[in-house]
Amino acid sequence: MMKNFHEIENLSAYLDGQLASSESAKLESRLKADPELASALRDLRAARGILRQLPARKAPRNFTLTRQMVGLKPPLPRSYPLIRFATVFAAFLFLCSFTTNALTPMLSFGFGAGAPAPAAGMGGGCEGCEGSQVQEFAATEAPATEEAFAAEMAPAATEAPAATEEPAAADTAPSSSTAESPEILPTEIARVTEPTPSLKEPEQEPSAVTPAPETANQPGADSEPPALSIDWTMLFLGISILGIISLWVMKLTARNKWR
Amino acid sequence: MDETALITSAQQGDLNAFNTLVLHYQDAVFNTAVRILGDEDMAQDASQDAFISAFQSIRSFRGGSFKAWLLRTVTNACLDELRRQKRRPTTPLEPETSDGEEIDSPKWLADKSMTPAQKAEADELEHAIQHCLDALPAEFRTAVVLADVQGMDYTEVAAASKVPIGTIKSRIARARLRLRECLRSFEELIPSSFRLNEENA
Repeated sequence: MMKNFHEIENLSAYLDGQLASSESAKLESRLKADPELASALRDLRAARGILRQLPARKAPRNFTLTRQMVGLKPPLPRSYPLIRFATVFAAFLFLCSFTTNALTPMLSFGFGAGAPAPAAGMGGGCEGCEGSQVQEFAATEAPATEEAFAAEMAPAATEAPAATEEPAAADTAPSSSTAESPEILPTEIARVTEPTPSLKEPEQEPSAVTPAPETANQPGADSEPPALSIDWTMLFLGISILGIISLWVMKLTARNKWR
Repeated sequence: MDETALITSAQQGDLNAFNTLVLHYQDAVFNTAVRILGDEDMAQDASQDAFISAFQSIRSFRGGSFKAWLLRTVTNACLDELRRQKRRPTTPLEPETSDGEEIDSPKWLADKSMTPAQKAEADELEHAIQHCLDALPAEFRTAVVLADVQGMDYTEVAAASKVPIGTIKSRIARARLRLRECLRSFEELIPSSFRLNEENA
């Protein structure tokens, strides 16, 4: 088979009937005259014939596809996207309202953070202030006090009137002891009879004032309404939870139906 | 089987319609894959991948021969597999005789009514042909399998291989020449019923 490859290509195409009729006629006349070319054609035909005799392999198993294979998902109800949107929207509103309510006290604390020092100074400068004035100051302080602080002070709430009744006596109490333990404050106040130097007044002021928050703390805390009503927050939360459950049930039902 | 209606349904996402087509063409697809890859397990994987790919892209089918379109898909899957194999060459785990010859598993026989002697003969011949096919470059093998084993014309083979018809013509001719040379060494295995050299007689 020493023919050039172009001739072999034509022979192969001729064998498959892929040659134009004019070319085929030319080749046929050459095949009659050229035994080598005819031998090459026989070789090609034999090779093709052997390949065609290959037994056809049958598929050893079925190649049918499952929905999982092709990533098909069960058809969901038409209302599914709407409910999903409502759920996401409600969850968003819930987060917004919850965040707003949570941040409101912190923000008011942040705005009032500079207030206690001058207020104490002012209060301290007010010797013999009326109980109502002290309570008023305490009321302004109440939102800024932490819950733990309020809880710590709670037992002294009953003693608050004593402190407010004797503001001058409270001035003489040691600042450290009064600040640390409000419970013993009334007894100390009772023991002190002499008036104290005016220099100590600013330091002692918190001791005179600290009992007061107990009397005004609860009304002060209640007086700060949440930015958004708790009812709305709970409503958004409820819608979100309900939506999630509905979506889950719809998916489950669709999947079961699909099977 | 109304193939056109099944294809239309499959294009609209009807998996059952597509599976009917799968059942109809799975033998041709697997046969093509096993001849190109020369390995049954790999051919199964390639066939399954081809059907998955075919379902996912069936909307791109614009008419014509669905079989040719499927065979093009499986050819691509086989060529991908061969490329992967080239990157990660593996040692075959096929059992061998003491002489180092592979023991061919006679699972697949075209005619189950053959006698054991005929089966053995056919097995040996098939093994010899597959051996010669495997020795061909992947492009030549693909062309000759599609043309001679699946009986596709040059236009369909060209479309399946995404090369011009001239290239296919050349590949088929070269593949046949090489196969003929290779099969010469197995001349004694070619039984008289498989000898097509009547012109030589």
